[in-house]
Amino acid sequence: MNVEKFSYDNQYPKLFALATIFWGVVALLVGVTIAIQLYVPALNLGIPYTTFGRLRPLHTNAAIFAFVGNAIFAGVYYSLQRITKARMFSDVLSKIHFWGWQLIIVAAAVTLVSGITTSKEYAELEWPIDIAIAVVWVVFGINMIGTLMKRREKHIYVAAWFYIATFVTVAVLHIGNSIELPVSFLKSYSVYAGVQDALVQWWYGHNAVAFFLTTPFLGLMYYYLPKAANRPVFSYKLSILHFWTLIFIYIWAGPHHLLYSALPNWAQSLGTVFSIMLWMPSWGGMLNGLLTLRGAWDKVRDDPVLKFFVIGVTAYGMSTFEGPMLSLKNVNALAHFTDWVPAHVHVGTLGWNGFMTFGMLYWMIPKLWRTKLYSKKLATVHFWIGTLGIVAWVIPMWWSGITQALMWKEFTEIGLLKYPNFLETVLQIVPMYIIRSIGGTLYFTGLLILVYNLFKTIKQGSFVPEEEAEAVPFDRTPEPVKYGMIHRYIESKALLFTALVFLAIIVGGLVEIIPTYLVKSNIPTIASVKPYTPLELQGRDIYIREACNSCHSQLVRPFRSEVERYGEYSKAGEYVYDHPFLWGSKRTGPDLHRVGKKYSNMWHYLHMQDPRQMSPGSIMPRYPWLLEWDMDKESIPAKISAMRTLGVPYPEGYEDQAIADLEKQANEIANDLIQNGIDADPNKDIIALIAYLQRLGTDIKNEVAEK
Amino acid sequence: MRKNKLFNWIIMGIFLLLASSPLYAEDGSHDTLSTVIQVMIAITVFFVIIVLWLVMVYSEKNDTEGSGLKKFFGSKKPVSVEEEEKLLLDHEYDGIRELNNRIPPWFNAILYGTVVWAAAYMIYYHVIGSGNVQEEEYAEEMRVAAMQHEALASSGALIDENTVTITNDVADLNKGKEIFDKNCAACHGVDGGGIVGPNLTDNYWIHGNDIKDLFKVVKYGVAAKGMPTWEKQLTPKDIQDVTSYILVKLHGTKPANGKAPEGDLYE
Repeated sequence: MNVEKFSYDNQYPKLFALATIFWGVVALLVGVTIAIQLYVPALNLGIPYTTFGRLRPLHTNAAIFAFVGNAIFAGVYYSLQRITKARMFSDVLSKIHFWGWQLIIVAAAVTLVSGITTSKEYAELEWPIDIAIAVVWVVFGINMIGTLMKRREKHIYVAAWFYIATFVTVAVLHIGNSIELPVSFLKSYSVYAGVQDALVQWWYGHNAVAFFLTTPFLGLMYYYLPKAANRPVFSYKLSILHFWTLIFIYIWAGPHHLLYSALPNWAQSLGTVFSIMLWMPSWGGMLNGLLTLRGAWDKVRDDPVLKFFVIGVTAYGMSTFEGPMLSLKNVNALAHFTDWVPAHVHVGTLGWNGFMTFGMLYWMIPKLWRTKLYSKKLATVHFWIGTLGIVAWVIPMWWSGITQALMWKEFTEIGLLKYPNFLETVLQIVPMYIIRSIGGTLYFTGLLILVYNLFKTIKQGSFVPEEEAEAVPFDRTPEPVKYGMIHRYIESKALLFTALVFLAIIVGGLVEIIPTYLVKSNIPTIASVKPYTPLELQGRDIYIREACNSCHSQLVRPFRSEVERYGEYSKAGEYVYDHPFLWGSKRTGPDLHRVGKKYSNMWHYLHMQDPRQMSPGSIMPRYPWLLEWDMDKESIPAKISAMRTLGVPYPEGYEDQAIADLEKQANEIANDLIQNGIDADPNKDIIALIAYLQRLGTDIKNEVAEK
Repeated sequence: MRKNKLFNWIIMGIFLLLASSPLYAEDGSHDTLSTVIQVMIAITVFFVIIVLWLVMVYSEKNDTEGSGLKKFFGSKKPVSVEEEEKLLLDHEYDGIRELNNRIPPWFNAILYGTVVWAAAYMIYYHVIGSGNVQEEEYAEEMRVAAMQHEALASSGALIDENTVTITNDVADLNKGKEIFDKNCAACHGVDGGGIVGPNLTDNYWIHGNDIKDLFKVVKYGVAAKGMPTWEKQLTPKDIQDVTSYILVKLHGTKPANGKAPEGDLYE
């Protein structure tokens, strides 16, 4: 056959790479800011838009979808063309993908700081942006599968298997988790409620880690690591084994985020056992990465690219061992809701995603600009500062997580909580927060060195937008399928491969989610649990807007220490009207599920005005704007009707009465405050928030009273 | 080759049947939930095995003899870097070659070990056990706590100088006498009339006449007056018993040779 001449598109790998660097700086800067806010709450400068609750989702979204996302696309667009010996399927799609993704990021940044959020972690963006993400993601998918279809290599290389799994699964997860009912242009409610919403969310959330932070990077590893080391991949067999087991098992493990919760036990147990089974499939990637370096360890000594890869892959191995351990119920009983979890996450993000990205950029940018890296020395400095930064980030958070857990659970000799005041357990770990922020700053400094180094590299090189290449198209006559060669056969069929990936990843989610949805006994109803009043619903939306769930859980776990501290443990039936669920994933502050009626209205009022008035030393930011902003009453009828559509039993026509009911309840609360000498206005946000907080977790007490 | 394949499928079928049979061996008294759980477990086990099986059978090139199983657990030794040419596969992607090294045996051992463990875990908690894992654990934790509380209450560990009250229980007072005779009589006299220590039967008290005052004196002692600290030797319950004995039984008696009053008069 004839040799075909064509060219690789370097334009979009370049743009994505530059975007990676830009958003990396933004994401890390916000990260460092919120790390410091945890011990200097006044660092929000008294502005709602820069307060922890709003910046935290900005940080996570920017880090995951902007920084890591662009890095994935840069890496995929560069490597996919070369392992398939084909130009990207369509330049137009590349363009839509690139600019669409950047627009989404900007829209995300603007809406998140404005408090426009669904509250679901890593899926905070509201429905118009969700739709845009789905569209752009499918554009990416078409572009990728299209490229695979017109490839000139007969077989698809393992890197692309992981790319395919990434595309397919993220599409399924994003669409599945984002099904929401719009109330207005920028407000929606999750169609799932309570326990079901929690399960769907963590099916998504866990697998966002799996298929946005793990599989694409394994794909990148399989291209960039052997390229940089100039060594063959250790074991093709191992690639097959760990690829299929990884994508199949990963999807089941979501419920390990919900151990000891109101989720049915069988689903929790599935989360645990699948997490344990996930250990070796994850390590398969690490082994294949590290063992590929056999015979090349001397190169690691003086090549910063390989240094980054080695630490990156090692960090991956560490966090994928820690993950299964954290999924054991007895470990999870201790670690959940503590700083141990962010420590675990950051081994993965800073170590694996960050370092793999840096290594890839140091390798790829000089290639794209036809030059050498400006300074190996600076890259090595970046490597060491970054490594030190990770250590200084993670170790204090492990320490602090274990400290918190032990303090929360400790009883005195005579059976009382040793630290009944939650604040004591917070103040104990403030020094750890300080060290953590120093670690983050070091890591950020490393990134700035990268920016300088790559800027200099780019300046000394000359960019080649079209890279000439040639290849012989493969023989498309079908070959007989032979026993022992089946996988080889599947590798030569892009669509078949994609379909099999889809099958492998769809099973786990369906088996866990459908029964939780359909089988009544999974969510035993509680007769005394009633829908929220309009004012409480309004307050709940304020709770969501200010992202209180970033620091406060609403889930009392079935442990003596928690029941003693907070009250009766949370039951599945209490959440049936919670669209979305607000269980949270971290207790920087205490749990709030039983906070209702625990304090007076006045206490809440003064606490929101300045938490330190009521709890000296508290690290919660002030929320003075809640006392000043007018409540959005007009949206209430639409919200009531949306909730009814989702199955919340508001009577027909209640919309017309809702505002009057809201005002009546608001006046009661305001009058109570006024009687206590506070100059309260029933039209302000604070009144709604108080109403919501006072309602939280109280319905179940009425049941006891009725009995 | 065909024969091997058939053999492998038969083995797998048997294994699947073995793995799933206990799930259906239960009687018919289950509600929908446990039926669902059983089906879930069966599906889970089934798919795990299918996936691992596929990998096992097809993970090698068609270049070695033997069945899938044999190839998978194969006897090939790990290959050194110098010899690896032999393992190079015949394809390359943008210059990347692939070796076909064996999967480390420890890797397989742990992988399949966790699968077996997972099946055992599910069967243990959800087929043999009731499945109400966390509710049972919670009940157990609370039961232990209640037992501890009871033990503390009966040992008097919950008693201190702020909470102590007089006990009129006969057994307690007898215990109090026992403690008094053993520890206190040397200084205060068996009859409480006082020897080195003051008289405990009259209405005069140096440190107050309330049980709480007495409790404090016994517990912490009065170093200046030679009264020792007893909290290391007597449990709070012991101190309650002995102080009650003093106030209920000794106080108001008029022992012969009683020591002269000391302290203030309390009516």
